[in-house]
Amino acid sequence: MRKLPLALAILGTTAMTAPAFADDHLPIVDKPLELTIHMHWPRAQGYGPGGDTTKLYPVEEVARERTNIHLIDKTSGRNTKDNNEAMNLLLATGDLPDIVGGNRIQQPVNQYGPEGAFLPLNDLVDEHAPNIKKFWEEHPGLKEAISAYDGNYYYIPYLPDGKYGRAWFIRQDWLDKLGLKQPDNIDELYDVLVAFRDQDPNGNGKKDEVPYFARDWEEVLRPLTFWDARTSGSDTYHDFYVTDEGKIAHPYAQDAYRDGMANLAKWYAEGLIDAEVFTRGSSSRDYLLGENLGGLTHDWFASTSGYNAALAEKIPGFNFIPFLPPKSAKGVRMEEHRRIPIKPDGWAISYNNKHVVETIKYFDYWFSEEGSLLSNFGVEGKTWNMVNGEPIFTDEVLKSETPVNSQMYLEGAQIYRGYPQDYRYEWQWTAEEARKGIELYDTEDLLVDQFLGVAFNKDEQAVYDKYWPSIQTYMLERQQAWVLGTGDVQADWADYMNALEKMGYSQVIEVMNSAYQRQYN
Amino acid sequence: MSGPVEKAGTSSAEMAVAAQGRVLAPKRSKLDRLVGHLRREWQLYVMLLPTIIWLLVFLYKPMYGLQIAFKDYSVFRGIANSPWIGFEHFETLFGNEQFLRALKNTIYISMLSLVFGFPMPILLALMFNEILNQWFKKTAQTIVYLPHFISSVIIAGIVITAFSPSAGIVNTVLGWFGYDSVYFLTKPEWFRPIFVGTSIWQEAGFQSIVYLAAIAGVSPTLYESAVVDGASRWQMMWKITIPSIMPTIIIMLIIRIGNMLEVSFEMIILLYQPATYQTADVVNTFIYRQGIQGGQYDLAGAAGLFNAVVAFVLVMTANTISKRYSRTSLW
Repeated sequence: MRKLPLALAILGTTAMTAPAFADDHLPIVDKPLELTIHMHWPRAQGYGPGGDTTKLYPVEEVARERTNIHLIDKTSGRNTKDNNEAMNLLLATGDLPDIVGGNRIQQPVNQYGPEGAFLPLNDLVDEHAPNIKKFWEEHPGLKEAISAYDGNYYYIPYLPDGKYGRAWFIRQDWLDKLGLKQPDNIDELYDVLVAFRDQDPNGNGKKDEVPYFARDWEEVLRPLTFWDARTSGSDTYHDFYVTDEGKIAHPYAQDAYRDGMANLAKWYAEGLIDAEVFTRGSSSRDYLLGENLGGLTHDWFASTSGYNAALAEKIPGFNFIPFLPPKSAKGVRMEEHRRIPIKPDGWAISYNNKHVVETIKYFDYWFSEEGSLLSNFGVEGKTWNMVNGEPIFTDEVLKSETPVNSQMYLEGAQIYRGYPQDYRYEWQWTAEEARKGIELYDTEDLLVDQFLGVAFNKDEQAVYDKYWPSIQTYMLERQQAWVLGTGDVQADWADYMNALEKMGYSQVIEVMNSAYQRQYN
Repeated sequence: MSGPVEKAGTSSAEMAVAAQGRVLAPKRSKLDRLVGHLRREWQLYVMLLPTIIWLLVFLYKPMYGLQIAFKDYSVFRGIANSPWIGFEHFETLFGNEQFLRALKNTIYISMLSLVFGFPMPILLALMFNEILNQWFKKTAQTIVYLPHFISSVIIAGIVITAFSPSAGIVNTVLGWFGYDSVYFLTKPEWFRPIFVGTSIWQEAGFQSIVYLAAIAGVSPTLYESAVVDGASRWQMMWKITIPSIMPTIIIMLIIRIGNMLEVSFEMIILLYQPATYQTADVVNTFIYRQGIQGGQYDLAGAAGLFNAVVAFVLVMTANTISKRYSRTSLW
């Protein structure tokens, strides 16, 4: 039904008159139609290459040609990088452009959509956006995850592809030197960390090795999963998680957390975890690997596997590779972190929009095969070519000094419009070590279901806002105190749970679960 | 008090005529004087204008938005259309132990800064004043002013590095004396000394400029006659310099007290950890976490308003006390 008209359009037909066919036709409109857009995201504050709105993205040029819809920049808060601030600025002016896009728009869009600032998209998508509809049907649960409390969804999200995010990395050359094998369970992991600490694997005669380190201090918690506790239910730290019974709970209020924390504190006290993990900051990975000090970490596949090439000359034999997560005390092998299939980023239609149907058709274009290729790889013939039915980047793109993603951002591809990401885009420039690691992780079923968030109604939001920030503050305070050894988790536990209760933990869990039931069941 | 009343009782018509005559004549001349004054001094008023505009735009106009402290504020609905909810935000704040703790920490840190930080620039200024070698004086001044011009982010980086347990200079020095290394920035008991010390190091030099200017304004004849009388430098400092700059010191003290709750929170955010919240979390960082990050602008507005009211009361009190006892005051 939709293949034929599309093929006709590609052949260059101009017969665009019959409105009954227009649903499946390109261009979307006969005469060029200008729509204004707010597009604020970390790489560009404005709809243009790098935020320069005097220029057009090459992708936008093609999209204009194909759809006849011209996006005109009208971004608020272009002088701040804080998307939250920009969004509030935009909302406060009240004069919304036709399309509002960028990163982290889910919360504002779901809050102000029901108040009338943005249009609900359910019916629009069902009637006018066959490609988006098909995507929802093929990926059940996602539409529900981005819905607001009134059951409608108000934005078309950026949908990342690919499963794995972080992985466990170890200095294989240190293991080889000490005659050890990759740790397969928690006990072996402990022995390896002790050996890294004591047996001078970097061979400088000093006991300066840092067995386990992390760029983000929150990753210091990740070993809790080796004692069958959880640290977070999503790719946001300290998040709620879904229990086996299908209820929402918080990892830091579970008995497994208490027991895991006791062990973690022991590891920290024994010097198996970077003593300065809380203040070392984001450059710690560069520093500890570059100085030949760090032994093991939990970090992103893509960026962490780049060190082998970068440090090959400086540290002879340097080999930092991903390995399977060691089995937990109960024998479970789990990688808690994964890419979430749906992002709070994307774009929405504002109440000011006078061309709603055209806009939703335009959104749908990016979910069509043609639009998806355009939004993932850029302009065909310029940055990529179709080789044996696969989109392959040109050598110029792959061999450039600039990372492929940065190149794409300037082309107008991979920017935070609502579109389905295509993992073939990333795989082409993933380092060999990471590819092997991903294949290794694919040999077992390591990932756990993610908590994709809930949409509160007004009363639930009020309860959450009133109690949660303080509870989380308290949880993190106690957590660091236990890791640092200024408190004893086993001794403090009863008081801790009482304090959480007093601060409203049960109320928060209650609204979490009521929202969750409404949204996903 | 009774005088005018009796007069008014005698003859109102007579009074009115007299009053008219009396008032009209000076009024005309007052207006003339004003016009003449403006004509003569207009340059000064033009120079004043940017400050007045700044005050109006950035301090007076935002006061309109203070009402969100009493409203259920929605950015989209706007300030005027958000419903009133009375004192609910204030009840939430004062029902929150972490807010009370933050309030306590703010006062505590401010008191420490005041006690240790306030005399520092005065001492520095007095010391600079006693240096005779001009080259040394200028170099020393430049060095102590310098930290003021460095961004807080960099200062925090320096502090974190200096107090690092593995490579920091503080722990290295402690190591020479046989002490174990301490992870200072995760110890609640060390946060306040480090923070107050850092802000003194950062600001004391620059703040001393005010006092140096005041000292430069002291009449040299006082010192000359003191020398004739055979006074020592120490005596001159105590009997001439300090009394002469006392008004400046008191004005600075009043301003400082007014700013007491405005602890430089960007520095705290850069230095604190959940592990040190217990002593480091101040009202502004609490507002930042709870309000700005959580998007609760109305609650943050309530906390900010509370801060401002406390500051206002503090300034009024300090000013009144100063006016009564030292005859120096802001207004």
